[in-house]
Amino acid sequence: MRFIVVRRTKPHQYIKPLIIVLSLLTGMILVAILLVLIGAHPVTTLVTIAYSFITPQVVKDMLLLTMLGCALLISFKGAVWNVGAEGQLYVAIIPIVWITLYAVPWSASSPPHQQVLVILASITVAALFGAAWGAIAGALRAYVGIDEVPVTLIMNYVAYYLVNLLILGPFRGRYVYGYIRTDDLPDAYKLSINIVMQRTGNAFLDGFLEFIRAIVYYAYWVLAAILVALLTWVVFNYTSIGLRIKILGSNPEFLKAVGVDARKTILTALALSGSLVGIASAIYYLGDLTRLTYPIQSQTASYGYLAILVAWLSMLELPLIPLSAYVVSSLRNAGRNMQIFGLGGLESTLILLGSILLTYSTLRFLTEYEVRVVK
Amino acid sequence: MSLEQYVANSIIELAPVFATFYLVALGHSLFEKAGLLDLAIDGVFFMGSSIAVRAAVASGSPIVGTVVAAIVTMLLGVALAFLMTYLPISHGAIGLSMMFLGYGIGIIVGYPARLEVGSIAMYAYSEGWAIAIMAISIAIGATVHIILKYTKLGAAIRACGENPHAASSLGVNVLLTRLIAGAVGFAIMGAGSSFFTLAWQKFWDPKSYTLGYGWLAFTVALTSGRHPIVLMPISLVFGGLIFYRVRIGVMYGVEKDVANLVPFIAALAAMLICYATKLKKVLAPPASLGKVYYKEERTV
Repeated sequence: MRFIVVRRTKPHQYIKPLIIVLSLLTGMILVAILLVLIGAHPVTTLVTIAYSFITPQVVKDMLLLTMLGCALLISFKGAVWNVGAEGQLYVAIIPIVWITLYAVPWSASSPPHQQVLVILASITVAALFGAAWGAIAGALRAYVGIDEVPVTLIMNYVAYYLVNLLILGPFRGRYVYGYIRTDDLPDAYKLSINIVMQRTGNAFLDGFLEFIRAIVYYAYWVLAAILVALLTWVVFNYTSIGLRIKILGSNPEFLKAVGVDARKTILTALALSGSLVGIASAIYYLGDLTRLTYPIQSQTASYGYLAILVAWLSMLELPLIPLSAYVVSSLRNAGRNMQIFGLGGLESTLILLGSILLTYSTLRFLTEYEVRVVK
Repeated sequence: MSLEQYVANSIIELAPVFATFYLVALGHSLFEKAGLLDLAIDGVFFMGSSIAVRAAVASGSPIVGTVVAAIVTMLLGVALAFLMTYLPISHGAIGLSMMFLGYGIGIIVGYPARLEVGSIAMYAYSEGWAIAIMAISIAIGATVHIILKYTKLGAAIRACGENPHAASSLGVNVLLTRLIAGAVGFAIMGAGSSFFTLAWQKFWDPKSYTLGYGWLAFTVALTSGRHPIVLMPISLVFGGLIFYRVRIGVMYGVEKDVANLVPFIAALAAMLICYATKLKKVLAPPASLGKVYYKEERTV
């Protein structure tokens, strides 16, 4: 008896969801095993993971990761692997800090329309910065032939240290009580809606109300996530660049054969992807982060890396991005809840991320191939 | 201090840095010479350095740390080589996944050792080992060079990297060859990464995974065309740049983050020079690097 790998003649109906479920289960089981090995209780561990899927903390991460997942989808569809969202995320915050704290700071005498204009300008400039940062890797890949994966990864470090320098230098806050960070974003520019809800004493009802509160608090994010997803859908379904990116991913030779400049397509894919990361970045900064703390590489929540998982787990299907973002957010939440050494769940998150991606990357060949047993 | 003393001190200081970058880049190069794309390098670097610390603290010997790190990463290299050769899967995706997993495993393995002993300095290599470590690294590099250039196994490794299908039709066992390259390459990487914590830094921190030194070793390999001999001066230059960056920064009043930034800018610049000039042909990667090796029917 032997196993053979053969190409599928027709796609399997359930293989994609099956791979996703298997990947998730493997990741969770691996983390649970590791935690059990170092003394955690298996049932507690699994309950913690399960509970993490229904806590209100997932709302924020899910919305942000939906935006970032869409951004990465733009380049991934073209087999252009933008793994530099982490750097693009922080580089895009640079102009926002400058605009909101130095160029157009808010004061009691500021006209009301300044609030809207500054927020819109911040989002626009962040998108441009994200696009420019992404375009550097795009140009190196398209015109020089350097693989975009190491370049985008190395540029993440460049972005970290660049932002650090700005925090230490021109962006260092004046009202920071000795901390090395930027000043807080003025309240007028914050993209969040704070509401107070009375506790009822009923655990179920209070949990539900917490969810409502989180959704209201991040209402602008909901809107932004919908817009970013819509924009991504329009790009892929109604624009020539979207079509070119899709062909670049599936059949780059065909693209060249019909006279399309593949290099421009690569460049555009990375720039577009970076610009959407920039938009997400603006929403993140204006709605939640509100300041940059030194050193940024130790403060980051690694959303840029988590977004890779979101895009891959969605099987590069736009409708699955929010679902994938929800799952990844919940797992991140689980990682935080399962602190092993008081490190903030960093290790659990990384292992979850790595093992899910590893299983997924290994099993993904089953979408095009099948394994048969022959005598 | 006399010039001789200064040079001798510099060599002793730089030896572990050189050994770290050289061996990690050398192992990575050997792996890639067989056509296997290694994007796991940064995670393996951190994981290897953490395992070495844990093993050194547990045994009380840095040599055990290096050996254990080499063995564990060797097993990982075999697993990766197996998956990448046996199944039609993306080398890039597998490598990146392994990178994250390596970070996570590295933290889990390394942290208890730090909690247990605080400082790892007494479990690290003493300064007297510096020259020996450098000499061993050079000897390993020379051996790899001889194997790659003058032996049947070396020819098979190179053939698998250039065209595994043609190699297979000429009688090369592609899987076995890649498994050997994976095992030896990753073992060398593991040993090299152990020198990072046990000989160079003599310090371990969970946040070290954000340093990105694995990517600098990746650049060293790329800019030297994955050639074991050419790797030596380039490892020395990059190692020196990283080792002296803070000292030079302090000398000229430059911020620490500028000094941290310089190696990454240098890495991008080095890549640009290699790819935008005629060096591209000389330093070209193996033709089948990262390409899926699939024959219509495969026994697994």
